[in-house]
Amino acid sequence: MSWVQAILLARGLSRGWGGICGAALTGAPFSQVLPQALRGLHCSTATHNSEMSLVPHPPEPPKKPIKAPAPHEELFRQEPGGERDKASFVRAVQNFGQYNVRKRGHVDFIYLALRKMREYGVERDLTVYNLLLDIFPKEVFRPRSVIQRIFLHYPRQQECGIAVLEQMENHGVMPNKETEFLLIQIFGRKSYPMLKYLRMRLWLTRFKNINPFPVPRDLPQDPVDLAKLGLRHIEPDLSARITVYQMPLSDDLTGTEDPIQPHIVGIQSPDQQAALAHHNPARPVFVEGPFSLWLRSKCVYYHILRADLLPPEERKVEKIPEEWNLYYPMQLDLDYGRSGWDDYEFDIDEVEEGPIFAMCMAGAHDQATLAKWIQGLQETNPALAQIPVIFRLAGSTGELLTSSGLEEPPRPLCEVQEEDDDHRKQQQQGRS
Amino acid sequence: DSQKIDREGKIPDDILEKLKSLGLFGMQVPEEYGIILVGTEEQKAKYLPRLASGEHMAAFCLTEPASGSDAASIQTRATLSEDKKHYILNGSKVWITNGGLANIFTVFAKTEVVDSDGSVKDKMTAFIVERDFGGVTNGKPEDKLGIRGSNTCEVHFENTKVPVENVLGEVGGGFKVAMNILNSGRFSMGSAVAGMLKKLIELTADYACTRKQFNKRLSEFGLIQEKFALMAQKAYVMESMAYLTAGMLDQPELPDCSVEAAMVKVFSSESAWQCVSEALQILGGSGYMKDYPYERMLRDARILLIFEGTNEILRMFIALTGLQHAGRILTERIHELKRGNVTTIMETVGRRIRDSLGRTVDLGLTGNLGVVHPSLGESANKLEENVYYFGRTVENLLLRFGKTIVEEQLVLKRVANVLINLYGMVAVLSRASRSIRIGLRNHDHEILLANMFCTEAYVQNLFSLSQLDKDAPENLDEQIKKVSREILEQRTYICAHPLERTS
Repeated sequence: MSWVQAILLARGLSRGWGGICGAALTGAPFSQVLPQALRGLHCSTATHNSEMSLVPHPPEPPKKPIKAPAPHEELFRQEPGGERDKASFVRAVQNFGQYNVRKRGHVDFIYLALRKMREYGVERDLTVYNLLLDIFPKEVFRPRSVIQRIFLHYPRQQECGIAVLEQMENHGVMPNKETEFLLIQIFGRKSYPMLKYLRMRLWLTRFKNINPFPVPRDLPQDPVDLAKLGLRHIEPDLSARITVYQMPLSDDLTGTEDPIQPHIVGIQSPDQQAALAHHNPARPVFVEGPFSLWLRSKCVYYHILRADLLPPEERKVEKIPEEWNLYYPMQLDLDYGRSGWDDYEFDIDEVEEGPIFAMCMAGAHDQATLAKWIQGLQETNPALAQIPVIFRLAGSTGELLTSSGLEEPPRPLCEVQEEDDDHRKQQQQGRS
Repeated sequence: DSQKIDREGKIPDDILEKLKSLGLFGMQVPEEYGIILVGTEEQKAKYLPRLASGEHMAAFCLTEPASGSDAASIQTRATLSEDKKHYILNGSKVWITNGGLANIFTVFAKTEVVDSDGSVKDKMTAFIVERDFGGVTNGKPEDKLGIRGSNTCEVHFENTKVPVENVLGEVGGGFKVAMNILNSGRFSMGSAVAGMLKKLIELTADYACTRKQFNKRLSEFGLIQEKFALMAQKAYVMESMAYLTAGMLDQPELPDCSVEAAMVKVFSSESAWQCVSEALQILGGSGYMKDYPYERMLRDARILLIFEGTNEILRMFIALTGLQHAGRILTERIHELKRGNVTTIMETVGRRIRDSLGRTVDLGLTGNLGVVHPSLGESANKLEENVYYFGRTVENLLLRFGKTIVEEQLVLKRVANVLINLYGMVAVLSRASRSIRIGLRNHDHEILLANMFCTEAYVQNLFSLSQLDKDAPENLDEQIKKVSREILEQRTYICAHPLERTS
């Protein structure tokens, strides 16, 4: 029997290396090439069909029309009227344990369960992951000798354990002490899943809070709420006020496809309001957009109201009034300033930009909708009625950037410019 | 009956009448409302007798909803009528003491003034407004934390006609009038607070000597004794400072003592708060009860740090006024240093080396011809040393920051603190020396207090001065600024809860 064992071990080792390298290196820049090459060299009949991740994605039906149902699929078969939730998932896992006392095929089952988790909506549930790990038989896969410890012991199982952890990582689930306990019981302290576990413990928290501008995990479905969230996200001033200028109204209740009245949500801070009030009416302001903003997997578009930077000769120098502070002098009568010795400012070339007066998100990106926004703004910014507004909108709206999302927004295709008089007329109408 | 006044928020009329008959209204009133400072002879003749006799009360109307210490944002406006005989006054003032009782108001308003170059500017002007001029209304008295006996309310002026002769000072000169009035009103706080503290010491000492715990009187516990020493010391210092300032004010040719007055105000208000708080601590639970007067004193003392210019603003005033003076004297030297004049640089470096090797500073306070009594000699030496090194530090600061020091508020605060301590040391040394020489009763107690204060102040000053050095490890300003910036960006406390992640 010993030679059979030896062959099995060798096979397992080679396959295991591929898996381990894949698991350990996923995410590193070169990992996308390396695991494939390794697999091509070493792997025998692949245990799963995913190249990138250890977790097999659900197979796409058109590609493999004839596919035998995965083993244990029946455990997840939908009961009539049964709901897909945590309870039924847990029941399926428990059923596996009950019907299969010897836990035959538990690796396949775990892979299957990992794939099914999203359907059941438990992909972020730590207890479920621990439950899955609990399926592994305990103490069996722990290396007992030095040789076993040096080589990969029970590679397929270790790979499967890593796959569980990997899926946890992808969903941002932090393993806890129970996970650690299970892993030690199953694979021992010096195993690859344990290494993965330790790395997750170290890095997950750091990456979890690395974004200074966190976006909630579940985005609101309502476009108005989503617009509010997005506007708050890009507006640094916490005093800024959000105004809903127009609520969405649609023909039929179901569709937001073709609303007759798109939503318009705007944001403006008190400072922006003051800046707009002091804006020279001889200089036009521009409505520009749409610009894209990604909130998790959603892309929303916003428009800005801005003006050009004043040429240097027109800028007013802020003068300190003579009689300003009743209590202490605001400036000293000395003719020398700070010494270079105490000047910690870096020499930075700052690109100055023109002021932005307001931002909005609207359901439609056409000029009529945005004109309504400007009308709404005029109520709180009376000065805006005197300032010519020029619309500079990118021609195509809708699916503007979704296909080439990472590229810079296209230059405005057409500039819609209005005569000032025309616009004033329109504003008059709007106000009357 | 202070308790009743506190409860009802009003001083009974009969008591006011008695105060009037005692002539107490004449004590400080005229100055506080500016008439004696800048009023014309006619104005003085018309209003002073009435005010001093208590026939009329006055109110000082400067603060507005949008304008605390910022004179530029005053909204109240006075426009000259067509016949040029009246000003029409419009606007609202808030937190006006005596606003509901006064018949005469000193009001500050913006007026249009034609400048020397012909341009029209808005400038502040002060007016004497009588309630009988019409259009003067006031809101209901504010419900306050402390000083509930004083009547504080809003005052509104609506098309009030003020005759031209009631302009206080010059037209457009209201800013200076307001500054003068504010500066002159402060020094009295020191003596008033000292009086309060003396009373407080009596009350709490009584309690500490009668209350027994563990078969010992409270007065036998060290931690209680410490509090009495503190109260006595603070009372002594602020009294000394107040009387030194008063003495200077009484000198001929009306010296400008606004900085000294501000120092007295800052020191006495902060000491008052600290002492009342400690007194409450001596009393334990009873101090917290409304049945005893201590909680009322605590509430009343809190306003001292806020009104007549908050202590923060006054510290800026103290430091900047001092630095302006120092800057004028040092300008020449600093220019030479900046130009790289070899002699000056060598001189400065040499002096620095001498200083760092340790030198005894002797400015002549002690010794055979010194003005300080030998029993206070050590304290006087400490003062001299502090003064000398403070001078060095100021020179350094001016060299480093120049006129941008106005922006360095944390630096200015330390400069002000050192200045206040130095002034306090001067005051106690001169008072204690005088007490010894003229043989006042218990002058050895005074020496104790003076030496105690001087030692404490000396150590505090050394610390402040070392913080003012460049790159001093004691100086946490950068960290302080960063912490507050991070908090203010989010407008919340940003640390995560300690139990946020438990595994």
